Amino acid sequence: MSTQKEKDRLELLQGTLDLLILRTLIFGPQHGQGIGRNIQQTSEDELLVEHGALYPALQRLEERGWITAEWGTSANNRKARFYTLTRLGRKQLVKETTKWRRLAAAIGRVLGPKAEEG
Amino acid sequence: MFWRKRKPGDFTAEIEAHLELETEQLKEQGLSEEEARAAARRAFGNVTRAQERFYESGIWLWWDHLVQDLRFGLRKLAKNPGFTAVAILTLAIGIGANTAIFSLIDAVMLRMLPVQRPNELRLVRIAQPGDTGEGNPDFTNPIWEQVRDRQGVFSGVFAWSGDRFDLAQGGAVHYANGIWVSGDYFKTLELRPAAGRLLTASDDQHGCPGAAVLSYGFWQEHYGGAPSAMGSTLSLNAHPFEVVGVAPPGFYGMDVGSKFDVAIPICAAALFDGKESHLDARSWWWLNVAGRPNPGVSLSQLAAGLRVVSPQVFAASLPTTWPPDMQKDFLHRVLATTPVATGTSDLRQQFDRPLELLMAVVGLVLLIACANIASLMLARAATRQKDLAVRQALGAGRFRLVRQLLTECVLLSSAGALVGILFARWGTALLVRFISTAGNEVFLDLSLDRRVLGFTVAIAVFTGVLFGVLPALRATRVSLTLAMKGSQAIESERPGRFRSRHWIVASQVALSLVLLVAAGLFLRSFSKLATLDIGFDRSNVLLVGIDLKTAKVPPDLQLPTYEAIESRLRALPGVVSVGRSVITQVGGGGVIGNLHTEWSSAVTGASSLVCINFISPGYFGTLRMTLLAGRNFNGSDTKTSPAVVIVSQTLAHRFFPNLDPVGKTFRTDDVGGKLGPPIEVVGVVRDSKYQSVREEASPIAFFPVTQIHGNSEEETFELRTGVRPSALVSAVQAAVGGVNKQIPIEFHTLAEQVNDSMVQERMLALLSGFFGALALLLAMVGLYGTLSYLVAQRQTEFGIRMALGAEPASILRLVMRNVIAVLAVGVVAGIGISLAATRVLQQLLFGLGPRDAVTMIAAVAVLSVVALIAGYLPARRATKVNPMVALRNE
Repeated sequence: MSTQKEKDRLELLQGTLDLLILRTLIFGPQHGQGIGRNIQQTSEDELLVEHGALYPALQRLEERGWITAEWGTSANNRKARFYTLTRLGRKQLVKETTKWRRLAAAIGRVLGPKAEEG
Repeated sequence: MFWRKRKPGDFTAEIEAHLELETEQLKEQGLSEEEARAAARRAFGNVTRAQERFYESGIWLWWDHLVQDLRFGLRKLAKNPGFTAVAILTLAIGIGANTAIFSLIDAVMLRMLPVQRPNELRLVRIAQPGDTGEGNPDFTNPIWEQVRDRQGVFSGVFAWSGDRFDLAQGGAVHYANGIWVSGDYFKTLELRPAAGRLLTASDDQHGCPGAAVLSYGFWQEHYGGAPSAMGSTLSLNAHPFEVVGVAPPGFYGMDVGSKFDVAIPICAAALFDGKESHLDARSWWWLNVAGRPNPGVSLSQLAAGLRVVSPQVFAASLPTTWPPDMQKDFLHRVLATTPVATGTSDLRQQFDRPLELLMAVVGLVLLIACANIASLMLARAATRQKDLAVRQALGAGRFRLVRQLLTECVLLSSAGALVGILFARWGTALLVRFISTAGNEVFLDLSLDRRVLGFTVAIAVFTGVLFGVLPALRATRVSLTLAMKGSQAIESERPGRFRSRHWIVASQVALSLVLLVAAGLFLRSFSKLATLDIGFDRSNVLLVGIDLKTAKVPPDLQLPTYEAIESRLRALPGVVSVGRSVITQVGGGGVIGNLHTEWSSAVTGASSLVCINFISPGYFGTLRMTLLAGRNFNGSDTKTSPAVVIVSQTLAHRFFPNLDPVGKTFRTDDVGGKLGPPIEVVGVVRDSKYQSVREEASPIAFFPVTQIHGNSEEETFELRTGVRPSALVSAVQAAVGGVNKQIPIEFHTLAEQVNDSMVQERMLALLSGFFGALALLLAMVGLYGTLSYLVAQRQTEFGIRMALGAEPASILRLVMRNVIAVLAVGVVAGIGISLAATRVLQQLLFGLGPRDAVTMIAAVAVLSVVALIAGYLPARRATKVNPMVALRNE
């Protein structure tokens, strides 16, 4: 079913989807499909986001009060549910980003400089 | 929070929108419609899975489970109509009794007055410096007028007093409940008229013509709510009053426990009594005063403000006829306030302890009921074990099962609460009738309010969980394999043990013993009171109250009028004898006065205070009071003959210890503190109760009615009848009417009057007896049910025992050992609790202590006998087990 190209993509680590969604929303309100596309594009098609996984994540973020949602119309005049980052969400984004950067740096140090895959 | 959650439909719509957007974008990139749609779906992954994840995360799952549980529970309950009906009825009785007592407590003690901002209102009191307590709420009119005219700290202040007014113009009285109100009464309470206008300050001026405001209920009942009532004339105590308006519905006055029919201004007292009215009386304490402080005035400012005006208030209203030392105290009095948001009520003092006690009693009854249902549930859970095991095997979590079982319990208790509220409505009305007396009809606003409903909902949920938790936990803790095998072995693993079911029954036995002891104490207390020697014979005596004041009989004609009535009454067929007096004994009222004698110097101060009555020569004979020495009054004791008195035993002992009282003399206090002329003791009469049945023997001085100082406007005839007293009412009415048609007549019987003075004891005896019996019944149903169940469980075992040669007697012994063990544990615990708890009953008992051994033994005996019977029935069934049938079951 899936193409070879899709198989090469990186699977998301647990918990990182939330961070990516928050990050995407920093540029303004966006609907679910747009968020998915956006993540894919900005990661230069490296990250695989199963669109179906997006919605439970959005639901979760909404319940935590990090994002709010409202029905609106998209650029091409279709009804869609738009998500907006809240102040709480913005704070969370900063926190998560810092955490992620530290984690990535630490893993990088453990793996050694310029480690190439076998 | 959950109402903010999204509905599943909204979520589906969002997914649809996503797929549309994606398809469109892919089409733009050059895919065909079909390819784009398929790719979008592929990229999305599993749509149903996403929806499921959404659903599971949310409240919808929770809600669906609840609906499932409720439907399942209802189905289960419907399948077992017998169990359901018994459980609901048991709970309805328990919850209903609790709701009934609580609504009474709510109505008497907790309910706010239905006026604007009741929390602001303060009751004004008079405190004597140096005395503890809140001060006395009774005012004379002169004091009240002083307060009214110096009300700086109050934005409004008003006075009121309860009374009753005769609506009939002569003949049998027809009383309306009245209140005297000051001009600012309605204005300060910020009430709006339902029709016409309310009384204002201009209606309450000395010399007022008399205007009346009706209560809404009275207006509806007597005028059909017609506007034409306004401006019409209403006769009160034979004086015309103009009806000016109607008070709002739901307002029954400041006094909780009564409702007013008509309100008239205080100034109208002069219409009834002329110069002798209470308006200028400086020691007639008949008014209550309350006020609404100015906005922003704090409590301490209020107290300070009142303290400042107090000296002026009391100086201007000083009772100048009082002895000098009492006058000095009077001048030092200060005004104080207490909250009055819930109104004032005599009922509170009389019934707060009994009501609290009854609340505890019905609480225990509910506990016993809960225990019953818990054991029923346990038994049922056992029969459902297979079903529960199957469900657990299919993956149902224990929590989920417990939740389902608890839902069933709360369903049951809610149904019980609904029926219970109906019971409570009816029960509360009955309770109010219990505490009402002929002379004082109690009215309470019993409309369901939020507090009562909240209470009922709370106990419904509480009881549901209470009786449900243990069975639910037990039922779900099963060994799957054993349960699936359908073996009865699970329940009867260790048959000899004292298991939770036994504990439940033992606690029921203990609690019902406590209630039985309490019931026994109150019943004995009441019976002691009811059979007490009160010094006169209460049966077959009709009391006929005669009011010559309202009939406007001039003073010099009063004595001849009474005598004319008396001779007519004596001639009536069915009348055995006739007496006449100012006070009817044990009627709640009385007159006291100081007596002085040179024969005993010890009798001074409070001990010189005696109860006084004025009687005709026929009084003692009619009431069958025994004259112990000397002579009765007779026709030769007249206004002009030497003053004479007959004294009670107690009075004789106090004033003339070890002396023959006959022939000795007394003097009374005359107005102004001077002693009156000497009065000779001509006889001694056996002690009798004067004001209430509960009192100690009182010193009573009986004077002849012919020698009353001044006039006597209201007297009562006592008629000993050969027939039922009430059968004579119309004949008496005709006889009195034959003398003067204007005379109002009030009828009572002496027995009824005596009974009314025991209203609290009667209520406690009746209710505690009722609830004690109910508790016993519930506990015995519990015992019977539990034993029946255990016997059924052990049928196989009994069968084997019998097959192996056990005698029926030994099987019986085996089961009865269980009963006796449960009974013994329950009785010991019950006695312990009773001994600890009965001390709070001390005050409410008459003539016996709370640890009365007779009561305790009787309660244990009754309980044991009933428990043994309840246990014997299932035990006997155990001996009837057919070994073959029992064994075939295995």
